[in-house]
Amino acid sequence: MSGAARIEENATCLGCGCACDDIAVVIDGGRITEARNACALGVRWFGDGSLPGAVLGGRTAAIEDALGEIATMLRAARAPLVYLAPDLTSEAQRAAIAVADQLRAFLDSFTSSTAGEGILAAQRRGRASATLGEIRNRADVIVFWAVDPAASYPRFQSRYAPIPVGIHLPNGRKDRTVIAVDVGGQRGPDDADVRIQMTAEEEPLFLASLRASLAGRTMGDAPIVARVTELATRLNRAKYAVIVTDAESPPSVPNGRADALIALSQSLNATTRGSLCTLRAGGNRNGADTTLTWQTGFPMAVDFSRGVPRYQPEDATLPRLARGAIDAALVVGAASAIPENVVKALGGVRTAVIGPRASESAISASIRIDTGVAGIHESGIAFRLDDLPLPLRALLPTPRDTASLLKALGTAIAAQGARA
Amino acid sequence: MTQLRITGGAIHDPANGADGDVRDICISDGRIVASLPPDAPVLNASGMVIMAGGIDIHAHVAASSVTLGRRLLPEEHTLDPAAAPALEDGTIPRSGTGGTVPSTFTTGYRYAGLGYTTVFDAAVAPVSARQTHAEFDDTPIIDGGFFTLLGNDEYLHRQIAANELGRAKDYAAWILKSTGAYAIKVVNPGGVELWKRNVREVKTLDDPVGASNVTPRRILEVLASAAIDLGLPHPVHIHCNNLGVAGNVTMTLESMRALEGRRAHFTHLQFHSYGGERGKSWNSAARQVAEYVNSHPEVTGDVGQVMFGDATTLTADGAVEYLLHTSTGRKWINADIELETGCGIVPYTYKDKAAVASLQWVVGLELFLLSTDPWRMVLSTDHPNGGSFMSYPDLIRLLMDRAYRDEKLKSVNQKMLAGSALADGIAREYTLNEIAIITRAGPARQLGLVHKGHLGAGADADITIYSRDANFAKMFSTPRFVLKAGTLVVEEGQLRRAPAGKRIYVQPGYDDSLMRDLGKYFEAYSAIQLANYPVTGLRDAPMPTGAA
Repeated sequence: MSGAARIEENATCLGCGCACDDIAVVIDGGRITEARNACALGVRWFGDGSLPGAVLGGRTAAIEDALGEIATMLRAARAPLVYLAPDLTSEAQRAAIAVADQLRAFLDSFTSSTAGEGILAAQRRGRASATLGEIRNRADVIVFWAVDPAASYPRFQSRYAPIPVGIHLPNGRKDRTVIAVDVGGQRGPDDADVRIQMTAEEEPLFLASLRASLAGRTMGDAPIVARVTELATRLNRAKYAVIVTDAESPPSVPNGRADALIALSQSLNATTRGSLCTLRAGGNRNGADTTLTWQTGFPMAVDFSRGVPRYQPEDATLPRLARGAIDAALVVGAASAIPENVVKALGGVRTAVIGPRASESAISASIRIDTGVAGIHESGIAFRLDDLPLPLRALLPTPRDTASLLKALGTAIAAQGARA
Repeated sequence: MTQLRITGGAIHDPANGADGDVRDICISDGRIVASLPPDAPVLNASGMVIMAGGIDIHAHVAASSVTLGRRLLPEEHTLDPAAAPALEDGTIPRSGTGGTVPSTFTTGYRYAGLGYTTVFDAAVAPVSARQTHAEFDDTPIIDGGFFTLLGNDEYLHRQIAANELGRAKDYAAWILKSTGAYAIKVVNPGGVELWKRNVREVKTLDDPVGASNVTPRRILEVLASAAIDLGLPHPVHIHCNNLGVAGNVTMTLESMRALEGRRAHFTHLQFHSYGGERGKSWNSAARQVAEYVNSHPEVTGDVGQVMFGDATTLTADGAVEYLLHTSTGRKWINADIELETGCGIVPYTYKDKAAVASLQWVVGLELFLLSTDPWRMVLSTDHPNGGSFMSYPDLIRLLMDRAYRDEKLKSVNQKMLAGSALADGIAREYTLNEIAIITRAGPARQLGLVHKGHLGAGADADITIYSRDANFAKMFSTPRFVLKAGTLVVEEGQLRRAPAGKRIYVQPGYDDSLMRDLGKYFEAYSAIQLANYPVTGLRDAPMPTGAA
């Protein structure tokens, strides 16, 4: 470490939705050399902090020209798309939504093609939820439903539950019962106290039977009932039961899991207390849902084409692209983190990318503007997977601030007048 | 526009003793001034009624809970799309959606369209305060502030248990300062923590909350005293135990007596003024509550009127929402929040054919009509709990127009109304000045906002100008002109400008020795770093605090 090294304490990691905010980032010579406390996934996410700073594809390298050309392209489109990729501050997300509103565009995020099913289920039923601090301090029974957080949410267990000591769990892990529910190949943690297994085909019936059991009824045949009864008994004895599910890894064949888990966690509250914890991946995904909701009333798939927000979750980005209903796109955020099928579907659509490493993106975009990564190069707010807002501080300079750039794009669009 | 003279209007400015007086109002640089040069531009308000901009002392408009509610209600939003207004000030207008929980921009536009220029969000989880600030940034025109939830906070309870009352006060100050809040809010003191422990009912003010010496009574006393000792402009803002439950008037009055002699604000009292007995009978106890408030000048309140139609119940009081979910079968959100508070949400419809909703409607009106001091019993619907803020004009008509009110009373379910004061006939009709009190001057005084709620020199030039109409609902729903800090935001009934509002908050001091103990607590139990807790970058100057 050279004399110029500095340590940025309490940085928030957006490597996954856990948003651990206790990372000590060591910076030496303008590069991140260490991310203390971070898991492997977090270390990868922070990287060394280096970024390209290019403006590609415009008639000149001047940012004003590039923005003007993006504005012209989007205004000329019949049906433009604004797509929120990960690694944006909520300030940038809000500015991107403003641009979509102004353009009467279709606005979507990665949520519609990943965690959308759970959001729709929660709109039908509501949800019983708890923030991670509550789970840490209160949950004595934790059911990992077809998810082992070790892979995609590496610090979940050590930082939130089941490992830490909590106010009502003075002995930490010893005071908690961990139940792994394995659904086909989707397994719970190896070190669970109890393991319950089912095939993917059995899952819907198992969930229905479990809810029936909690309500004092029996449903299903003996082999299912035996497993159901064991789980129901443990849930009913819990002081505070939490069911953990992974919104980013839904069943390979949709089977109503998200809906059933919401109903299950709600019904726990007839006799004891319980919540559902929905894991989300990194890059401020919950922020996209949250900011879009407060600005428009809807969390994803918002169509502004009639001058008002219309909710189109059944006709989101992928089907629109597939049937040629989008003729220009602005991708904002880390294009490298966009689902593969969306990248593919964008091929052939005139596209501009504003985000970190836009210049290296696999998307064939006409204009690309490099910006910074939320929480590494850009300050603002990000939302943890439990929807709590956390601060982001710029640890390194950004090539250009995404939120400011999007506001400037809005000004450029306004200067060109209303869309025809 | 830096200067403007409003001429010819009838001024209803109860804080300055004006009751329909016709005189000029002079505005310079966003404030009201005593005079202007003769060549200043003029707005002719002849024949119109002029009041200060409306102030909503208790609404849910900018908070994590509100956005959870927004997310729950796509069907409402689909039915009430809100196109971007045609603005003339160069700001880019925004579309949105309405319903009972409108999107942020639409919230700002619609409040301003009603002549409201200041709104307080009544229930913000401290840990989510930065979201509230961000949502207010997206809520144009209105000045915004919020109350932060402290009645079910684990660290506070620990200080009460240990009889560390100085530290409890310091903690309250630290929370206010860290979150950029304006006042201390207590929701169902102790009851939200008990709900998390699966204890679903608070039977008395002396029920233990964990430790035997932590009780609803102690929580109320400690936080009421903290607000007074810190010299906060607004006293502790209390949502009592047992909201919405038959017979809860006993608890409400006991809570008031517990704080007798201390300043305190009791909110949405309609929901806390029921006689009878749970599961057996249910009737109005508005008279008892109104009489207590009438005779205790240290007490202020707002009504939390129920208005027939769609609402969304949305509160930190998670336990009550579970009951509502099971009794209505409607969808339900519960969120237990970070050892601080809770949240429950259930969409709800108040039907005039329903006995309980009709009783609630009557109880609210009785609180208005039996309260002798309008300065201390002000207008709210606990938006969106009792109804949307968009129903305020109709509520004003119910208060001002006895014939309209009596006609409506005949059409509601009478089952639980026997013996109620309203059913027996109340002749009172609110005057324009009394309306000005319960919608502006009173809230401003209760909140300690010396620059708002009146039209005297030095006040913020937040002004609403109405055309007279025999139908008061019509008159109050479509002001002709609205000025916000001197800017004409509504002109001839149309929203024309949407400047950013200001933030209203306090920054009280505390003894730094708090931080060592708090640091240990965070280290042991928090899922957020202490250093990341405070909101930074607050804009606008804080309101002063300190001994009066």
